[in-house]
Amino acid sequence: MEQLLVPALCKIDKIIEETPDVLTYRLIFKDPEMFGKFKWLPGQFVEFSLLGRGECTFCISSSVTRPGYFDCSIKKAGVVTADIHTMLDEGMDVGIRGPYGNWFPVDDIKGKNLLFVGGGIGLAPLRSLIQYCIDNRNDYKDFTILYGARTSKDLCYKEEIEEWKNNPTLKVILTIDKPEETWKENVGVVPKILEEVVKPAIENTKVITCGPPIMIKYTLLSLDKLGFAPKDVITTLEMKMQCGLGKCGRCNIGSTYVCKDGPVFTYEQLKALPDEF
Amino acid sequence: MNFSVFETDKNGLQKFYEETIAKNETYAPVEKFGKYDYKKVSALPECDPDSPISLTMSVKPLFFPRSSKIMKYEENREGTIITETDEDPLAGKRVILGVKHCDARGLQVLDRVYKWDYIDADYQKRRENSVIISTRCNKADVNCFCTSLDYDVENSDAHDIRIINGLNEKIYIQAVTEKGEDLLKGVPGLQFSVCSSEVAGEESAKHFKAFDSSFRLKMNYKEVNEKLQNSFDSPEFDPASKNCISCNTCAFICPTCHCFKITDEKIKDTGIRYKSYDSCNNGYFTLMAGGHNPRPVKYRRWRQRAMHKFVYYKERFGVNLCVGCGHCAISCPVNISIFDVVNQVV
Amino acid sequence: MDYTKQIQEIASKLFAEEKIDIFIGYRQNAFDDNQVPILVTVPADVPNLIFTDKSVLNLTNYLKFEHTRNKRVGIVVKGCDSRALNMLLTESQVKRENLYVIGINCTGVLNEKGEKAQNCLECVMPDAVVYDEMIGTPSGKKEYSVNVDVKELAAKGLVERGEYFQEIFENCIRCNACRHSCPLCYCTKCCIDQESAVLYNGSNTPSSAFHALMTWSLHLAGRCVDCRNCEKACPSHLPLHLLHKQNEMVIYENFQQHLAGMEKDDRGAFYKYSMKDPDDFIM
Repeated sequence: MEQLLVPALCKIDKIIEETPDVLTYRLIFKDPEMFGKFKWLPGQFVEFSLLGRGECTFCISSSVTRPGYFDCSIKKAGVVTADIHTMLDEGMDVGIRGPYGNWFPVDDIKGKNLLFVGGGIGLAPLRSLIQYCIDNRNDYKDFTILYGARTSKDLCYKEEIEEWKNNPTLKVILTIDKPEETWKENVGVVPKILEEVVKPAIENTKVITCGPPIMIKYTLLSLDKLGFAPKDVITTLEMKMQCGLGKCGRCNIGSTYVCKDGPVFTYEQLKALPDEF
Repeated sequence: MNFSVFETDKNGLQKFYEETIAKNETYAPVEKFGKYDYKKVSALPECDPDSPISLTMSVKPLFFPRSSKIMKYEENREGTIITETDEDPLAGKRVILGVKHCDARGLQVLDRVYKWDYIDADYQKRRENSVIISTRCNKADVNCFCTSLDYDVENSDAHDIRIINGLNEKIYIQAVTEKGEDLLKGVPGLQFSVCSSEVAGEESAKHFKAFDSSFRLKMNYKEVNEKLQNSFDSPEFDPASKNCISCNTCAFICPTCHCFKITDEKIKDTGIRYKSYDSCNNGYFTLMAGGHNPRPVKYRRWRQRAMHKFVYYKERFGVNLCVGCGHCAISCPVNISIFDVVNQVV
Repeated sequence: MDYTKQIQEIASKLFAEEKIDIFIGYRQNAFDDNQVPILVTVPADVPNLIFTDKSVLNLTNYLKFEHTRNKRVGIVVKGCDSRALNMLLTESQVKRENLYVIGINCTGVLNEKGEKAQNCLECVMPDAVVYDEMIGTPSGKKEYSVNVDVKELAAKGLVERGEYFQEIFENCIRCNACRHSCPLCYCTKCCIDQESAVLYNGSNTPSSAFHALMTWSLHLAGRCVDCRNCEKACPSHLPLHLLHKQNEMVIYENFQQHLAGMEKDDRGAFYKYSMKDPDDFIM
């Protein structure tokens, strides 16, 4: 086990400031052999070590179809993430273990219409999947991306969203919670826009959603109202984890290990879990 | 396969222990401050293989140490280097004396979680290289309930060699696995009379009967397990856990609790990363960055503990996580027993 | 010492007059002669209350938990417990108006062997110093004496003492039960648990046990009331009182014979400055 818990070293290639409190770290393995070994699918996560302070769990926010690097987007939320923001600079080393967990069912959703519903930093895992699907565009049908944040400043991946907007095969809908002067797109919380503006077709559609707990809660209700079957709604769960290997017991919800059986669950699966997340 | 059984008496057993300690790297319960913990011994008088269960720590730390080094690292101008960790001090071939049946069962239970999916190689190696010699208690402690659970205490196969106390001062030494057989054969100079496994089995059954009748606590395990499955929303968890002071002791001394945390100790440019015990009774256990905590209050943490022991683990791995050793109740500063908690809930 | 009847009477009276929401007392353990805490919330449970010379635990520890916070609490305190309560009051951890304190003028409790406990033999204040109602006859303040174990250890050589403490640190399993059972350790997040506490961050090595136990005992220096809740809680049976009694002795000798929690609003040795304070340790 101790061997499995030893991280591989990565160099921080680039730090991209997404919002005032979200930074994206572009990481490159120091050992070139690791590139061959490190294969991940959208939705999987890594254990990110700030050496000297410990490990944190973050999802990989870029796709394996864009090789050579991978991204972790980190929001300043607690003590350790605050330290990550202040202590890490480009060129410094961090430890990475992974990839762990299950992934978005990229094969099951082939040939389906995809509706991505993201909020705030919740776009990070979705971005990995969106990139993956864009790079395998022919496997999937219509794309709709609904992304919301509290203010226009809190929108992550702004440049990439511009790219998506310019891509004629994608439909991108942005929203912020409260009106702003220069803001020309939708205003309102994500579930409201979902019901009133997007009005998605249910037929042959899979919804992939991720965001803050409160957004997820109301989005799931809206999706229910719109008539989506719980098995067609896929989300990722946030839970405190430590080992990622299904050993340390921290991420237990009932007999489920979120780090092994998750973090990707359908709404149907979530309903069956004890209410403890 | 039939393994050897020897018949002997108290002196013979002493001799067997002495020979074993002389020939092998041996761990046994050693007393310190009135509490027994498994430590390396070089002579029989240092230890007490018949240490009372109420004063003996579990054998778990010999397989899952209270703290183990994951790695060392150094930072220099070029970046960080991960240096090799020291050799695992517990990986060598060894014999463990005086393990209680419940404790040995605890290891069997732990095997399941360490074997699924990612295999814990270090744990596996420690298990493979250990020969466990168990003794069954003569009398149950007030907090014990091992005979009420889902395993056969009488014919337990969790150990490699078992010592059976006969009724008329006779003692039987029986190999249960090949590892045990090898050890028994490798102890020369023992002039024990060979005995059939049937006789030993009968003696064991007699001893077990006397042992079984000494239990204060009895539980209908099947019923408890079934009822507990539907007790997630039971209001009884709150009163049952009211006295708890959230101190972690129960998890740290439990033979089957296996939650751990990973922490760094860094001084200047060198650091060590440790894997150490953690407990679900700890309020920070599931606290996430940003302040969300799925189990912020005591009764939810106790619910997790009780349900994990009696329902979840069984659901996932097929065995009950609690082995009924009573260690938690003995060590609890306010005498909360998991037995009482689950019985109050169902 | 058997005040079971008096305590039950007072508790039922308090519940009848609706003066309290919860009563913290002792109850007989079901299967041995030990006593465990009981948090009584309904008058029907009052007959379970008991008080004898086996009522060893310090119940003021329960004043820091969610079940009692911001509630009106009735509590039983012995002499040492009442000193802890005094400390909690001084440090603004509990509100006096929320408490109904039954002070016991204690004649000493028994240890597991049935003998009078060591801390009771050396007790300086057997009478409750905070109370709304008092049970028993006060016996007054006693002479302070240095702990016998501390004396014994001090007589040994430095190396031997070092080895003895090394053994304590080696046998510590870092479960933190000592801290959780201490009434005066009420921080919501202990400094030992901070992520940045790199010297003792949860690992169980003798060095981290040393740092954790030392930090803990120094935070209690001048505050510890010698109730020995920590020692009773320790699963490794470590003689933790040595750390505290050593500190107590040093403080008693150097800081105007200070003993924690004897008077209300006594803020402790380290919060008071006096010209008489020794300064020979300042470099």
